[in-house]
Amino acid sequence: MAQNHFDPTRKMVEDFQAGRVSRREFLKFVTALTAGVATAGVPVIAAAKNVAKAPVRGTLNQVEPKILIYGGSQDIATIDPFDRTDYSIAAIIRQLYDRLFRFEGGWPQPIEPGLVQEWSSSADASEWTFKITDQARFHDGSPLTSEDVVFSYQQTLKAQKQRSSLLSGFLDVDGITAPDATTVVMKLKIPYGSFDRLLAFLEQPIASKAIALANEVDGDGGAAYLIDHEAGSGPFRIKNWQIGSVYELEAVEDYWQGWPGEGRLSGVVWQKTEDAGTRKLGLLAGNFDISDTISSTDIEEINANETTMVSVNYGLLAGYLKYNTQAGPTADPNFRKFLAYSFDRQAFADSQQGYVSIMTGPLPEGVPGYDPDLDPQYSYDPVKAKEHLDMTEFKDGGISIDFVYVSGLDFEEAGGLILLAELQKYNITLNLVPKNWPDIVGACTVPESGPHIAFIFDAFPPLADTWLIEKYSSKSWDRPTGGSYQACSFYKNETVDSLLDELRLTTDTARIDAIVQEVQTIISNDAPDMPLYVTPNITGLNKRVKGFTYYGDISVDFWRLWLDDAT
Amino acid sequence: MLRFLARRLLIIPLILLGLSIVTFTVSRLVPGDPVKLAAGPQARPEQIIKLTEEFGLDRPLPEQYFMYMTGLLQGNWGYSISTKREVGPDLVTYFAATLELTIVSTLIGLAVGIPLAVVSARWRDRWPDHFSRFISIGAVSVPVFWIAIVLQIVLAQNLRLLPVSGRFDPRMSYPETYTGLLLLDTLIGGNIPAFLTTLRYLIIPALCQSLLVIALVTRQLRGDLLDIVRKDFVLVARANGIPERVIWTRYLMKNALIATVSMMGFLIGFQLGGAVLIEYVLDWPGIGQYALKAALQLDFQPIMGSTLFIGCVVVLVNLITDLLYRVIDPRIGLS
Repeated sequence: MAQNHFDPTRKMVEDFQAGRVSRREFLKFVTALTAGVATAGVPVIAAAKNVAKAPVRGTLNQVEPKILIYGGSQDIATIDPFDRTDYSIAAIIRQLYDRLFRFEGGWPQPIEPGLVQEWSSSADASEWTFKITDQARFHDGSPLTSEDVVFSYQQTLKAQKQRSSLLSGFLDVDGITAPDATTVVMKLKIPYGSFDRLLAFLEQPIASKAIALANEVDGDGGAAYLIDHEAGSGPFRIKNWQIGSVYELEAVEDYWQGWPGEGRLSGVVWQKTEDAGTRKLGLLAGNFDISDTISSTDIEEINANETTMVSVNYGLLAGYLKYNTQAGPTADPNFRKFLAYSFDRQAFADSQQGYVSIMTGPLPEGVPGYDPDLDPQYSYDPVKAKEHLDMTEFKDGGISIDFVYVSGLDFEEAGGLILLAELQKYNITLNLVPKNWPDIVGACTVPESGPHIAFIFDAFPPLADTWLIEKYSSKSWDRPTGGSYQACSFYKNETVDSLLDELRLTTDTARIDAIVQEVQTIISNDAPDMPLYVTPNITGLNKRVKGFTYYGDISVDFWRLWLDDAT
Repeated sequence: MLRFLARRLLIIPLILLGLSIVTFTVSRLVPGDPVKLAAGPQARPEQIIKLTEEFGLDRPLPEQYFMYMTGLLQGNWGYSISTKREVGPDLVTYFAATLELTIVSTLIGLAVGIPLAVVSARWRDRWPDHFSRFISIGAVSVPVFWIAIVLQIVLAQNLRLLPVSGRFDPRMSYPETYTGLLLLDTLIGGNIPAFLTTLRYLIIPALCQSLLVIALVTRQLRGDLLDIVRKDFVLVARANGIPERVIWTRYLMKNALIATVSMMGFLIGFQLGGAVLIEYVLDWPGIGQYALKAALQLDFQPIMGSTLFIGCVVVLVNLITDLLYRVIDPRIGLS
């Protein structure tokens, strides 16, 4: 049986070697560890935990707690813990509820224990056992037990909403049990070696079963009540909830995990501010301490301001030009390669002020299996483009193809304009077709209505199998209800299908690596889409904000932050 | 009067019925897949089927319409397919913000527009008239969102006099709400600091929204005043030595205001439908933003709800306007 235990000493050393931890932090850790050893009666691991990552109750909060104002680009229409996971919803739910694991400690996302203290899996990875802490308390003071964990997962699976999509592929309602108050066992429908990482990413909030059921209506498990109420044990609780406007949280001072920084916040206000210009002005005027989704054209102005700065990071939101591989000219692989060699990525990067991370293959950096040297890769090459075009029936041009993008998104239109200019040289007309997002989602259901080319963004957990299966397995679209926009290439390759089936089931890490590599190579050869770029998460910060750690998401983890006016 | 009222009140349901049929049909004809959008990109087939059934989208369109209207008559405005929130309470919340903004901006518009019109008509073709016309034409010529951005930069970012956006200071305790109109609620609660804060947050959005009122009131009233000032009854009044102040206030204004009131009815109804650009740029949580978001997500029940709700409001405002005619000028019949 494989067993995992969170070892902070080992983790700190690994983090230091990987460059995720500074020399100063490492030395602090070593000093504290030495002091811990020297202090009789104090367990070494406990001392190490305190200094390394796991926070302690009653940490040294030297700075007076203050309220942080966050200008968020998205509304928080619901905080139902069984429903969905938009970035804004996830950002707030993370503060209200605890989860089995944390992953917001850095980038690429390391798994850190949340409620879980130890976890292990059977040899074939079909049964997972999680030992949870007995220290966690809900905001009403009641203890969090394994019953609450089971209830929360079961409610999500029963509700069959967005949050359950990936989980329900592995776990049934009956597959999760609680043998005792601190143990949770999950028996999977199919073995899955990365199940712990999947759980970490899915971030199922653990809600109080008692509170949820006390507010149940028509057997909904409290879902309707929990749309704008909470039943969590996280570091913050709801103070004020004004739908469509401001969402205010207040800190739980005696939060069971303590506070990790030199200070902490007394509260957080998420002020929904949809206009990017207003988010920038709010930051510059001192109305907001943090503004997310800053426009790349505003970076210089914010950095030039004495009190504000910008943090530019790349995560998992990746843009692809998806070709319809089942219909129209793009059904011909040579035509797709012609398109791939015709697209000037550097011109596109320039149009975005350079704030793009160009992709080399189907997987973005940050997902295990990412290969910067994948062969083949497509860069702008008119000679190769012509070679591939000549191998198609469209070598003399005279055709017209559609390029569908989301109406109003200038950067997507810019991509179309770059391709349009290039295709004109080959007597090929590119029709730029702006559409509303629901229209694109509907069109991507079946190949018959799928656009020739669609500019689409994908985001998945940092798990290679999920990325590859959802986008490139024909099972993701060739089914009665059709596919999602992520499978808008309608790609079908029997070898790839077979390898992806094996990828989901195998627990042999060497075999997993080999399959991921092989599948990426085949896909790159077939060119069902053009992996274009990873979009940056651009966060504007007032310099008094301390403790900011990027962890791959648009938002921030408020638990780790504090405000210090002295700097 | 009562017959007029009864007739108008009987017509209202017919208007709303027509509106509901048109909105329902158009929203269903628009291409797109709201279920897949709401279910999310990794939705499994069974999830899509469940959501489709849950919202009755697997049934024939006439049945869907009948189900919706039946619910509506029972006071159920439906649920958002994307958030699962009830539409009715959300409409009330968002509408309160829009109503407050409309009231304040209309008051500002009238307070500025009426004097400008009088000054303009009184000193026709002289500098007060030129100034007034410059203001009224300028107010509608410049895009309102641009004015909003300029005010944000000057008053909020540079001078730090006013907040950039929002409805209330997030660092203060949110006031107790009774009506949803924060100015009124803070007064009811006797919370003067919160009242003043609410006022500060209202200034930029209300100024922006009042520009249209100022422009239209000034131009309409000026034209009517100039038209009436040459009428025989005014000349007779002047010949009889009635003071100019009385002529302007009692003779001219009373007659000239009729068309302005009619126009204001239309304008207020229009504003109560939400000012999407102002609400978006200044982050004012009004019904315009709510309706826009529903439309962009093809969220059927909020689309229906917001359209019918706004329709009701416009019809009622027009009814009140018609009644006001008679108050201003009893000669006008209501038949």
